[in-house]
This record gives sequence, C-alpha cells and structure tokens, in this order.
Amino acid sequence: MLQPAREILRFRSLLATLTSRELKARYRGSVLGFLWSLANPLLLLAVYAFVFGFVFHSRFEGAQPYAVFLITGLFPWLWASSSLLEGSMSFIANAGLLRKAVFPVELLPTVAVLSNLAHFLLALPILGAALVLGHLLGYPLGGWAALLMPFIVLLQLPMLVGLTLGLSALNVHFKDVRDIVSNLLTLVFFLTPILYPLSTLDAYPALWWLVRLNPFTPFTLAYQQTLFFGVVPDAELWLQMVLVATVAWICGAWLFGRLRETLVEAA
Amino acid sequence: MAERDEVIRVEGLSKLYRRMAPGGKLKTLKSALMDRSLTRGLRPEEAITALDGVDFTVRRGEAFGLVGGNGSGKSTLLKVVAGILRPDAGRVTVDGRVAALIELGAGFHPEISGRENVYINGAVLGLTRRQIGERLDSIIAFSGLADFIDEPVKNYSSGMYVRLGFAVAVHTDPDVLLVDEVLAVGDEAFAHKCLRRIEEMLAAGATLLFVSHDLGLVEGLCDRVLWLDRGRPQRLGPPRRVVDAYRQAVAEAESAEHREAKEEREREAAEDGRNERRWGSKQARITGVRVLAGGDERYNLTSGEAVSFELRVEAARPLTDFVFGIQLSTPRGVEVWGTNTHLAGFVAGRLAGAAVVRLDCPRLRLAPGEYLLDVAVHGRDGAPYDYWSHALAFSVTAAEQGIGVYFPSHRWRFAGGVEWEAGSGDGGEGQPIGGEAEVAGKSASGERREATEQGAVTEQGAVTAQGAVTERDGAVEPGRTGSAEAAAGADGGRGEADAPGAPTEEPGEP
Repeated sequence: MLQPAREILRFRSLLATLTSRELKARYRGSVLGFLWSLANPLLLLAVYAFVFGFVFHSRFEGAQPYAVFLITGLFPWLWASSSLLEGSMSFIANAGLLRKAVFPVELLPTVAVLSNLAHFLLALPILGAALVLGHLLGYPLGGWAALLMPFIVLLQLPMLVGLTLGLSALNVHFKDVRDIVSNLLTLVFFLTPILYPLSTLDAYPALWWLVRLNPFTPFTLAYQQTLFFGVVPDAELWLQMVLVATVAWICGAWLFGRLRETLVEAA
Repeated sequence: MAERDEVIRVEGLSKLYRRMAPGGKLKTLKSALMDRSLTRGLRPEEAITALDGVDFTVRRGEAFGLVGGNGSGKSTLLKVVAGILRPDAGRVTVDGRVAALIELGAGFHPEISGRENVYINGAVLGLTRRQIGERLDSIIAFSGLADFIDEPVKNYSSGMYVRLGFAVAVHTDPDVLLVDEVLAVGDEAFAHKCLRRIEEMLAAGATLLFVSHDLGLVEGLCDRVLWLDRGRPQRLGPPRRVVDAYRQAVAEAESAEHREAKEEREREAAEDGRNERRWGSKQARITGVRVLAGGDERYNLTSGEAVSFELRVEAARPLTDFVFGIQLSTPRGVEVWGTNTHLAGFVAGRLAGAAVVRLDCPRLRLAPGEYLLDVAVHGRDGAPYDYWSHALAFSVTAAEQGIGVYFPSHRWRFAGGVEWEAGSGDGGEGQPIGGEAEVAGKSASGERREATEQGAVTEQGAVTAQGAVTERDGAVEPGRTGSAEAAAGADGGRGEADAPGAPTEEPGEP
C-alpha cells in the first residue's frame, strides 16, 4: 500500500519539475495567465451567489454573509473535483511518456492533484480578503482556528492522491471512468454541505445522514469550521478525516498496484 | 568472459500482445486485477507473439545490433530491455544506467520553451536539476538550437525536436544506450554528429543496443548483430554474416513476391481480355515469361550476373512474319533497354505450335533498383500479335550504391594531393593513376569488399558518390578519435580492413 507513496517521495524533485511544467503550460499563451486561477473560482462563486442568494432568496441560518460561507466550502471543493477529473485522465493524457520512458508512473496523478492544489492556494488571498471584509462588516467570522487549515489540506492530500491513482489506472482500461467520475462529482457536490449549511437538513434525517456520510463532508465541515466559523473541529471530525483519507488511499493504491504493470500496454 | 562483463542478459524472453477483442474489456480488467497481466490466460487466437524465446548477452563496451523487418519485435525488445515493457516469460537483467533513445523528447510539453523542456526531459531521464544546469550549455550546443531554445517546442520542426531529445539523452551519462532508429529523423550532419557521439560513448565503455533499418550502418557500427523475424531470433553473430543472411532472406522474399505477382498476371491473362497491359491480335500468344539467373527462376538479381529472359510462345496458326522483343524499364517509366529479333538481324522463317525464346545476357549491369519487363510478339511492321507490358518485375542489388540505371565496372583512382582514410573507399589507398590499367569492376556477385549499400551513403557517401568536394565529414579531419576511425574504416572497407579495429572475436571471412 505504501509503495506508491515511497515512489512519490523518492522522485519528489521530478514531481516538482512535472508540477511546475503543468502550471507553466496551463496558462501559457493566455493573456490573463495565472490570474485565471483567481478568476475561475470567482466567476463560479458569482454564479452560485447570484442563483442561491438572489434568485432563490435562500436565507440560510448561520451562513451569513452567504458569499463568504460559499467560498470556504467551494474553493477546497474545486481543488478536489478538478484533481479527480484531471487526475483520472493523467495516464491517458501522458500515454506518450508512459510508453517511451522508464518512469515512476504514480507521479502523474499526483501532479494533477498538486497542480490543482497550487491553484487552490493561489486563490486563498480571495478567501482571506472575503473573511476580512465580512469581519469589517460586523460578522463574527474567522479567527485563529484558520491556522489549522493546512492540516486539513494535508489530510485531504492522501485522500485525493489515493483516489486519483485508482481512478486513473482504471480509466486506462475503461474510458468510461471519466464520464462516471464527472457525473458523480456533480451529484456529490450537491450532497456536500457547500451551498448550504448542514443544519438546513436537520428536519430531514435521511437526507442529513446521506450528506453526513459523504466522504467529502468531513473535509468541507472542517474547512467551514476553521475558516468561516473560527472554531476548532472536534476530535471526532479529525478522526473521520483520517479515516476517509486512509480508506481512500488504501483502495486507490491497491487498485493502482494491481493494474500498474498493465498500464503501459493498455494506455 | 567474466560474468560481470555481461551488461545486458536476456534469457528465454517472450512477449505477447493481446488482440483487442470487442467486449473483451471486462475480461481484460479481470485478468489484470487477478494476476497483474493482460496476456496470461489468453487463448492463442487472442494473443500476438511479439517476441518468442530470445536469448543473448551483451558485454560491456560492445555494440550490439538488431535487424529485422517491421513488426519483427526489435522495438519491443528494446522496450523490454529498457524496462518500459515487462516480459511475459524469461528474464532480462541490465547492469547500469540505461538511456533509451527510443522516441526522443518523451515528455516534451509543446507549450513551453525548449530550455524548460530540457529540464523536464532531463528530470524524466533521471538527472537532478543541478546536473541539468551544469550540462545545459553543452546540451544546447550539441542540439545546435541555441537560437530557438527559448521558443515553445510546439514551433519546432520534427528534426529540431529529435535534436533536442537526442542532446538531452546523450548527456545523461548512460552505461547502456538503447537506440531505436532515431538517427533517421535528423539531417545528415546531425546524424553524423550523433554517430560520433555514440562512438565516443562506446570508446568510453558504454554498451550499445542498436536498432536500425540502415543495414550498412549496423554493419559498420556493431560488433555483433541479432536478426529477428516475427519475434524469433534467426541468426546471431558477426555483423556481415548476419546482415548478409538477412539481406538474402529479404531478397528471396522479394523474389517470391515478384514471382507471385507475375503468376497472378499470368492467371489474369489466361482468363483473357481482362489485362489492360496486354494487347494484340493473338495470332501468336505469349504463354509464359521467366527470368533465369544461375540456372534458377529468380527475381532478385545481382548487378553484373548472367541473366536470361525466357518467353514461351504459341502460334494459333503457322506464321511466317514474327518478331520477338523485350524491353526493360523502371517503374517510373524510364526505358532502360530494349531489343528484338528483327533488330538483331533475324529474318522470320516459320513459327508453328509452341516455342521457347530465350535472350541471354552474360553480364546484366543494371544499377540497383526495381525493373519492369515488357515482352512482345509482333509482325515486322510492328503490328502486335501479343504485346505484354509489365509482364513481370524484378529487383537488382549491387555491392555499392549508385544512381541511374547503368552500373558499369569502375574503379576510382587518384593522383596529387588527395588523401583518404586508411582502409576506406574501395579497398585501400586507391590506385595511383598511371599504374596498370583496368581492374575488373567489383565482382557484383556480392563479395562486398567495399562499401556496403547504405553504409556508403551515410558515412562514406561523399567519397563514393559525389567525390571529394562536398562533405568530407571526418575522413580528412585530422583529429578523429581512434574508434571513429575504426568504424569509418569498418563501414567502408570491412573486407580488407578487418584487421585493424575489428573486434577480436569476429571470425575471418570465408
């Protein structure tokens, strides 16, 4: 199970090179360049804030200002979902590299996760600015608990790398994986308390449990607690994150390990 | 030979590829999950054997060549040795750092600059950032792309792409160099540069596994050669023997192909009327055409050998006016030579029933290439009874390349301030002008004392074909390395030049 992790750590300098290649190539030739890392989530945020805050007039209790609440869940979610989407394609997209060079293939899905993490981190100033602004407007937002956020990122990292390892290996054999993943992500997005606080569902126990058992929920809750509410997540939540990360890693690494030797030929 | 000198050891290597059966996806995945292989448990019709029982070892410092047709498994073998593909059976052990020059520029990203790609490619090939930084200038200089190094790679030509890829690959200090037909993409000058570099690395103790369709190059560069045919090793040994055996097999296959095509045409002709390339009144008919060489029906000829063209004809009714003719042309329509019995002064008497007509050419000195044969029976006024255009095709090979259609016996001679690399060209120092006259041309039956076919073009082309004026890459340059010199000599004058620079284990020529 730990073999992929060892390989990733052993080739960390190559990993860094490949990630920076990804980042450099991403916006090469575009006028705004890396500003798209800020613009993309902002535009999405504007759409959601408009639809839910203005059109639907949603007045979520304890989630005001709504746009700031949205950011704290949405930005990490964008990291997770684009990592999974891009990561599951990484072997197919880099088939040339797989077939032509002796290469630690586990790096490729990891590159997808890390380059999207970089975009997430680049967008953090927006999140910070939103929190400060909310604070200045008199909302009781944020606090020292925000300093715990890096630990949540560190827990979500193995979860995402594990999942992308498994998905990308599977995708080499079944091109359907990509479509399944993208549709599943849309579904899971609405089953994660990002657009609404979990307490909204208190009246619907079945739905509440469905959302609560969603593996992405503990992370979303933790981001919201540390960043938006300024609360330190309780031990139970940390434990859930550790559990999800471990299980995701084990499943992904197992699948990858079984399929690893077949990748070059099938890609 | 001590064990530790074996750098590459391949034992009983087999490699299968699966045929993609529709709907076999789930099965594929299941077998991959169950036993980590895509090919185990496949039925014979579901698998293609890419390599079958290949054994060989390569010693430190040796240049080992692989030849064979397309799909013979050469590239698969290289990829297995590189560790990119896994064998289905057998074992491959490689001792040392491998650089696989298989498809160059693996991992180049089109959007970013050549310089940045050097870093990435170098990292993929196992160099640290600092090592790449130290070698960057040398890499760029070698690639000859200094002016374009900050351009995005997507603007590079395919040749530039390969130049940069090769430059990075040879700067990784490999112990084992795997080269797959990469020299074909760059221009002549760069190919020479790459070869020199490969030879320098060999001289420094690197080991080479070399795949090329350039047989002359393989002969010149390699110490031993393995010929693969559909994944099975055919022959392993000194380059000349193996390459000759391979050439022979190719020529025989070509001959068989020509013969089949001819028989097909004859069948069509027998069914009559369907042949656009055949016309005439059919008062007399051609019932068969053959090319005979060395007493056998053969369609792969060696320039200068004795060849006979044979026609079988049949007259429906006895004829008193008839001429037999043949004509040779190239596939591009150039008429090479034609003659007929009328031109030769024969005056027709009587043709009745079946007859055989044979034209003997004691030395058919055609330049290497493909030729088509037209045959005809017609009246003295030219009215065709049976005119058969492109009745058959045959190929001609020669010990030395040349252009055009005629291959006269010839010999270069020099006087004054001309000097050649010892042992290069046609067998030594060249004959001084004013020595004894006329030496019978190369006996074309393939003694191959001199330049081998392609070898003559790549390394020595300037000498044999264009004369000394154009490019004299290396040959007159004073400071060539010993190994390059030996290889240049080996390239050209293997026969006589075997003694200096030839590997010790190569047995003398028969």
